[in-house]
Amino acid sequence: MKRIIRFFSSVKLAIVLIILLVVASIIGTLIPQGRDMAEYEARYGRMGAPLVRLQLTDVYRSVWFLSILGLFGLNIVACTLTRLGGKVRRAGHPRVESDPKELAGYKIKDKFRIGGGDKGGGKGGSGDAEKAKTLVAEALKAAHYKVRAAGNHLHGRRRIDGIFGSDIVHLGLLVIIAGGILTGLAGFKTDVALNPGETRDVPRGGFAVRLERFDTEMYTNGGVKDWKSTVTVVEGGRDVRTQVIEVNHPLVHKGFSLYQMAYGQNWEAATLELRIGRKAGGAGAAEAAASDAAAAKTVKAKVGEIVRLGDPEMTEILVRQFIPDFLLGENNQPESRSLNPNNPAAYVEVRRGGKKIAEGWVFAAYPEITRLRGEAAPEMTIDFLDLDAPQYSVLQAAKDPGVLLIWLGCLLVMAGLFLAFYRPTWEIRMVVGAAGAADGSAAAGAEAGKVEITAGGIAAKNRDRFEAEFARVMDELRSAK
Amino acid sequence: MTEATFFTAAFILYVLSALCYLAFQFSRKEGAAAAGLAAAFAGLVVHAVALVLRTFQSGHAPFTNMYESLSFLAWAVVLALIIVEWRFKVPKAGAYVMLIAIAVMALASSPLMPKEAAPLVPALQSYWLWLHVSVTLLGEAFFAVAFVTSIMYMRAKDPEKREKMDSVSYRCVSIGFPLFTLGGLVFGMVWAEKAWGTYWSWDPKEVWSLITWFVFALYLHTRIVMGWKGKRSAIIAILGFLAALFTFFGVNYLLSGLHSYA
Repeated sequence: MKRIIRFFSSVKLAIVLIILLVVASIIGTLIPQGRDMAEYEARYGRMGAPLVRLQLTDVYRSVWFLSILGLFGLNIVACTLTRLGGKVRRAGHPRVESDPKELAGYKIKDKFRIGGGDKGGGKGGSGDAEKAKTLVAEALKAAHYKVRAAGNHLHGRRRIDGIFGSDIVHLGLLVIIAGGILTGLAGFKTDVALNPGETRDVPRGGFAVRLERFDTEMYTNGGVKDWKSTVTVVEGGRDVRTQVIEVNHPLVHKGFSLYQMAYGQNWEAATLELRIGRKAGGAGAAEAAASDAAAAKTVKAKVGEIVRLGDPEMTEILVRQFIPDFLLGENNQPESRSLNPNNPAAYVEVRRGGKKIAEGWVFAAYPEITRLRGEAAPEMTIDFLDLDAPQYSVLQAAKDPGVLLIWLGCLLVMAGLFLAFYRPTWEIRMVVGAAGAADGSAAAGAEAGKVEITAGGIAAKNRDRFEAEFARVMDELRSAK
Repeated sequence: MTEATFFTAAFILYVLSALCYLAFQFSRKEGAAAAGLAAAFAGLVVHAVALVLRTFQSGHAPFTNMYESLSFLAWAVVLALIIVEWRFKVPKAGAYVMLIAIAVMALASSPLMPKEAAPLVPALQSYWLWLHVSVTLLGEAFFAVAFVTSIMYMRAKDPEKREKMDSVSYRCVSIGFPLFTLGGLVFGMVWAEKAWGTYWSWDPKEVWSLITWFVFALYLHTRIVMGWKGKRSAIIAILGFLAALFTFFGVNYLLSGLHSYA
């Protein structure tokens, strides 16, 4: 058991694990993640399949990556716990006594004599030592050190909270890892696509949303400025609240966040702009052109809708079918290659008095291949001028109970970093003794009544600033009489 | 007076500063280093005017494309140098840090970087843009200074100078690391949660930020717990800055992901 704890609480393990995490992360950014097998085979050839099997194509969700992360978590727990007890002890009950020899080994140290002279000379050493002790304690207190004394030993310390900084950072990291696990296990995310006016249930949400309107705002240069979905939350058939959802401004309701994710145009509900005209006949060209212009009618029509041209002959047109991305498939059947209007085509019928007089496919992008059939076909032209479709909005509904832990963890990490870096613990240890008592130096007798101070300082961080402060305190004591 | 005028003026002042610092390297005259610092400070002020003008002209934070981000990074590097100079007195590092700032400025003004202020795409319209990018780049600026002092450590012979460079590198990391953690990772996660609906997506830029963070965590642990100093510490600090640099540039040009703006 001890060996296991020792293994998990070693900083060397932490370093090995961090290096492994770094290497794995780099691999994950070099190999495209989460693609199709076919893509990997095309890209890496025979290496494709082994890469997928080793989960190098889904590194961050792979068993081995999560195992390293798990070990890393255990490592943090063990490191923190094994060191915490000692730290708490040191914080509450620091060792006050110091061996002057130990202090002599410090990097930041000093040794000098104070007091004595005419005032205390007659009374003997112990009174001087007491006086010196008070003096030293006062000086340390004035420099904001908490002073503890035992016999002729003094211990001053500033900002003890700093030593717990790293533990708080580690606790924060553990909370973040816990949050990540919770997100992975209990997080839920789904897309909700809505046409304006449409109401849909939010899966697992216990409420529904209705899209009141969807607006795309544009910049004058043609770029998109914003997507705004005005959404009403519906609970049990009742409207609860209405809010505008835009990018960076999700709607939060009952633990769910609704984000503006995507948008699209509902081409099935497209409105087409068609121009019905007469072909120039054999008569004088100019005259014909003039009459054509007069006779040509532009109409807007939806699929399945009968539209009157409003001419004396009571001509009507009907768009039978609309295909946004026209393609002749197998058996010469028209089909749509995609949902995007890359090659919009409409099957249009022209009727007069309940009788079909012309029909055929008209193409917006290729007017020249339009072929009409029917009795009126030779004298008729139909141009597919433009098309538009209502926009729909895609919202992402997400519920993630892990998020709160993530923010808590971040707060802890930042607080811990602040303590660790900006509240460094500084310690000054001092031994106050009659001159020469400690090291038995020959000078002892020469300056009877003087008290020798041996001092040493430790700073975990900000050593140069501590060194300056240490020197200042010592100078103050030296000059004190 | 437009942004470009102030940008150019700042560039010239930075070059002057670098020249003064270089003169100090050879002459060892304190006056030259002081002049270098003064020129750097003047450049910083003029550059700040350029950034403010840019903000008013475009109506958004001055780091939404490569040109703007580079310009801000150069500003942050000079700011970091001035802070380090003031706190830790390392005039010898001045010339090299200024050369980095000048290189970043030159890259920003190269014809490859589109300079026109484009209106913001919806995802960037957030005050988190200010917090996320500025704090991250400031942290990276301190990593840049640590990079310079670490290289100077490796090249120095004088033990006193080595000691100084080693300690300044550590101090820079200890300022840069909390800033980078806060700006790059924490603010990044908060913003991602607001804009994309998830605080972490393993997007290449996120992963490389994490890698950078891990490298500097390694630096701190080997140093504080295991007592590594000197050469080994310097190598880790150099690697850390290179990782930060790759996060900034490499990910944009070599890898694809969600962070496609800048």
